[in-house]
Amino acid sequence: MVFEQLAGNLIQGLVLGAVYGMATMGLSLIFGVLKVVNVGHGAFIMVGAFVTLALFDGLGLSPLLAIPAAFGVGLALGLFFYYTAIQRLIKAPELATLLATFSIGILLEEVIKLVFGSEFRGYNWEVGKIDLGITVLPMSKLYACIGSVVIAVLLYLWFNRTRAGSAMRSVVEDSEGARVCGVNVGAAYAWSFALGIGLTVASGVLLTMFIPVGINPYMGGAYTLKAFVIAVLGGLASPYGAFFGGLVFGLIENGSYTLFALLPGVEPFALTRFLSFMILLVILLIRPTGLLRGK
Amino acid sequence: MKKDTGKYLPLIPVFAVYLVLFLVGKNMSGMWQLMAMLLFYCALGQAFNIFLGMTGYVDFGYVAFMGVGTYGMALSIVHLAQYEGLGAWVIVIGLVMAILFSTALSLCVGAVALRLRGAYFAIATIGVNEGFRFLIEGARIWNGSEGMIFMAELNRILGRDGASALATFWADVMVLVIAALAATVTLVYMRSKIGYALTALREDEDAAKVMGINVTKFKIVAFVTSASFAGLVGATSWALKTPYVFPPEVFEIHYTIEAIIIVLLGGAGTLLGPVAGGLIYGLSKYYLSIFLPGFQLLIFAPIIICIIVLFPEGVVGMFKKRFRDSALGRYIV
Repeated sequence: MVFEQLAGNLIQGLVLGAVYGMATMGLSLIFGVLKVVNVGHGAFIMVGAFVTLALFDGLGLSPLLAIPAAFGVGLALGLFFYYTAIQRLIKAPELATLLATFSIGILLEEVIKLVFGSEFRGYNWEVGKIDLGITVLPMSKLYACIGSVVIAVLLYLWFNRTRAGSAMRSVVEDSEGARVCGVNVGAAYAWSFALGIGLTVASGVLLTMFIPVGINPYMGGAYTLKAFVIAVLGGLASPYGAFFGGLVFGLIENGSYTLFALLPGVEPFALTRFLSFMILLVILLIRPTGLLRGK
Repeated sequence: MKKDTGKYLPLIPVFAVYLVLFLVGKNMSGMWQLMAMLLFYCALGQAFNIFLGMTGYVDFGYVAFMGVGTYGMALSIVHLAQYEGLGAWVIVIGLVMAILFSTALSLCVGAVALRLRGAYFAIATIGVNEGFRFLIEGARIWNGSEGMIFMAELNRILGRDGASALATFWADVMVLVIAALAATVTLVYMRSKIGYALTALREDEDAAKVMGINVTKFKIVAFVTSASFAGLVGATSWALKTPYVFPPEVFEIHYTIEAIIIVLLGGAGTLLGPVAGGLIYGLSKYYLSIFLPGFQLLIFAPIIICIIVLFPEGVVGMFKKRFRDSALGRYIV
């Protein structure tokens, strides 16, 4: 009985984990290329959720069509914040970019609150479900999972098969060397930041399929923490590492929830959140370069 | 001898501001609440600045220390109210507990996080308040998510009038004392080996290490000091004024945001900065909440981004530069 439940929850965790992974790729991409930690990460996810809501409620568009729209919104936001703030701070002490991205996150939350209000809002995208015997999986979650995998593969192809992708990778390896070889490092920075934000906002669309209680402007904080745990699992600077980190985290989260629920007198949901924080601390302590990568 | 007293002259303007706030609040009717709020923001800024300003590390989980301080006071009141003989000493014990709790938590967090550099430190701290909140809720420590309400206990200890005087006046006076203490400690640190070591590490941590400075030790000193002041601020400005604690409220990230805004506005790493930042932020928040309720953060977020990009040294930092060679310069630190 318990094992059946555990197996069912682990399948759910794998599906959720793929989306978690995709939602963290932008964070890792930005850190890898610019060495900037986007502390406002969760706020960008929240923007994606509201793009979905606006398109679904306003125009009746399917959340799947909201993915490219959210990606476009993210690219625009990324370029805007890069040229107004981040560009001037790359050479400054780390404190500056940390506080700047933190403030950008607050700004986004407040703007969305101004437009949509701060109540929880939800929408219902009913596309049926499939019964796997041990667990029932809504199709919307399955679509989100497939979408995440497709986006991750596209990103991989883009990095490895296109000139712009190679240019970005060269900047990660050695920005001076890239400059010498004729790579426009400034543009690579700007587009990496925009791409990272685009991916993050797009992931907000996929994540909303997992939020039964609805979305609100302050939902991002929890995802910022999860994204950092995942990114650190995957080595912080590698988008693919982040994707696999997401899968691992999804399994840990759902698996530990099932096990905590067996303990009497505790609140399992809160304990899983505490556990993810402890994982973060332990990994940072023993291996800040990430568990899934060699040194 | 003269040189020694000169070292602490910059405290004069800080204390003068606190005194003015106190006197205005005490003597002008209806002003006490506003002045108490300004003192709270000054105290929060002073406490936060000891770590962020002096080390250049940003602790996104700062509010966790306020939270456990609040719990220290609340637990003392709840558990000791039954001992009649203790009387008002319960409050004193509560303050000590607040310091102990925040020191203990900051040592645990610091032992892990302070080994990490820059960005990794920020990542490690970002979950501290959430992590601790969910530990309390999840394992049902200290009444878990139900929290604690201790109005009745406070009334039993101090009497109804005493408890209300504490909530509306004496708690704020304690915040004032904490703010003054934090300012004094800041200057003492600045003028001692700790301050010089921290300045060296803020400018170039590797160089400081090579020069033989035990950077981890000094980082821990600043971290724990800053955290224990946060615990005191939580114990006085929260537990004594609003006699209940609920995990989601005392671990609300809002206070970390406000502390960052205050320190950056005023100027990180300066003595007067948190005072200037606290006054500017507190006054604007007060008047914005009257004329444009709910818009404070919408207005402050872009201001902070502008400050980081355009004036990273803050208001006091700019004044400091301008008056460096004049007689006034001695007071602006």
